[in-house]
Amino acid sequence: MFKKVLIANRGEIAIRVIRACRELGIATVAVHSEADAGALHVRFADEAVCIGPPQPLASYLNIPAIISAAEITAADAIHPGYGFLSESAEFARIVEGCRLGFIGPRSDVMQLWGDKIRARETARKYGLPLLPGSEALRDAEHAEAEAARVGYPVMMKARGGGGGRGMRIVRGEGEVRRAFESATAEAMNAFKNPELYLERFVEKPKHVEFQALADTHGQVWTLGERECSLQRRNQKLIEEAPSTVLTDELRASIGESIRHALAETGYTSLGTLEFLMDAQSNLYFMEMNTRVQVEHPVTEMVTGVDLVVEQIRAAAGEKLELADTRPWRFRGHAIECRILAEDPVTFAPWPGRITDYYPPGGIGVRVDSGVYGGFQVPSEYDSLLAKVIVHAPTRAQALGRMRRALDEFIIGGIRTNIDLHKRLIDLPEMRNGTMTTRTVELLMARGRS
Amino acid sequence: MQLTLEELKNLFKTLEAGGVAEFEYQDEKFRVKVGLGRAAATVVAAVPARSSPLASPAPAAAARAVDENVVAVTSPFVGTFYRAPSPDVANYVEVGSVVRPGQTLCIVEAMKLMNEIESELAGTIVDVLVENGKSVEYGQKLFTIRKA
Repeated sequence: MFKKVLIANRGEIAIRVIRACRELGIATVAVHSEADAGALHVRFADEAVCIGPPQPLASYLNIPAIISAAEITAADAIHPGYGFLSESAEFARIVEGCRLGFIGPRSDVMQLWGDKIRARETARKYGLPLLPGSEALRDAEHAEAEAARVGYPVMMKARGGGGGRGMRIVRGEGEVRRAFESATAEAMNAFKNPELYLERFVEKPKHVEFQALADTHGQVWTLGERECSLQRRNQKLIEEAPSTVLTDELRASIGESIRHALAETGYTSLGTLEFLMDAQSNLYFMEMNTRVQVEHPVTEMVTGVDLVVEQIRAAAGEKLELADTRPWRFRGHAIECRILAEDPVTFAPWPGRITDYYPPGGIGVRVDSGVYGGFQVPSEYDSLLAKVIVHAPTRAQALGRMRRALDEFIIGGIRTNIDLHKRLIDLPEMRNGTMTTRTVELLMARGRS
Repeated sequence: MQLTLEELKNLFKTLEAGGVAEFEYQDEKFRVKVGLGRAAATVVAAVPARSSPLASPAPAAAARAVDENVVAVTSPFVGTFYRAPSPDVANYVEVGSVVRPGQTLCIVEAMKLMNEIESELAGTIVDVLVENGKSVEYGQKLFTIRKA
């Protein structure tokens, strides 16, 4: 087992990893930018190293500085968290090359699953359902031909990354050329990779993702699904487990294909396979995230598995001892709300000093937070402050418990989206489980009219 | 390679933050050569971090900052601080040494690369703040210099 892990991240996920290390008896090193000198993860870790100025490129994305910090603290492994360098195969390769443990998949396997087009091919090979789609688009003419073959409406997407960038919906032949040109430019700008592909576009899908975990001894588990349909601008707001629309048969068959695909491609560590579900309850594989996800706690609550601890164990080469999850059983229902520092009306990010901070508590309430009263929320990073997770015996009780928890949560001095979450929890679509990835956008549009 | 001025500036900032000392590129249409992390005139981004003391918990540093002629030299990298080029050789500088701009003050070693840290000003070394062979983080104060 590792003696000392360096966490190459910040905020709530850095705390999460430090907690897992504590439980495993592993010493921890926090790295931070100058803007985060007072951050919680710096105070929680056993050691801390300032690695650069506030800008991410010069600090949390600064590979030489992170490796140097591991060197001077004699860390023997690095956990990349999520975002930042967590899905950089180059970073994983460098860490491996420096003889440090990388708490994630091997760099070559990360590269395979991280490439959208190769991931689609791999998924198809192992029997995962896919949306009709194309290979890499050579030019606008090829795009037009492929769009006609796949069938409108189509979504043009970037091969090099997600997050809503390099994406265009195309509803007819006349729109293809302009969409191709602007999406190419956007993709080049965002990912340094102009390549696009296209897929059939599902109008009002549900977002359903499956959690997988594999060790280096050939064992692969799937740990059920999460539904993350409530999103704004392709950023998830609320996630839950299990999904209201998945049957045991579908869960079992998708799980089997996922386990097979991951075992055959040599995938180890945590990973999440994201799917869309259409109105006819068909699932279509979208992409795989080769890291721990923000919303991993809802899976932890309904399975009782500490995903980060198991991820660290797997990275250290241990043979994991999880129960067989094929006869699938959930324990109750869990919901998570992402509390963001933003204006509730304009959605403008709202950095600043938190004056009062009182998180919710009580039975079945968990808060994973990166902030505290008095903390100066920096402007250089994403706006996630904390996650509120509730767990209850039924979904109806979980919704009620989340409402109670949101009512208790006090964050003063900055603006947050707590009120938005209260509205979302109370939506009829949320209550009856019919929400889609367009629900939040339509709610906002109604609010403006 | 076609870059706007903004992109060039970002490129230089990134290279400098990564510890690159010199960068040169040439193709049929374009050539650039720049020394990074040295002369204050060419590198606007680095200077403020070095010349102003960090918000530091140590009250002693704050007291010293009152004298505006005494400035701190801070580390631009994470690494190990060495006062001399090798173990049996004299230190680059001592307390009281007079230094010129461009003069090497110390080495910060990172990943087997010896990075020479050079003075940006002319002055006299007031304090050496880190012991030889100790680890330093980004922005950590290494020396104080009284400006000439």
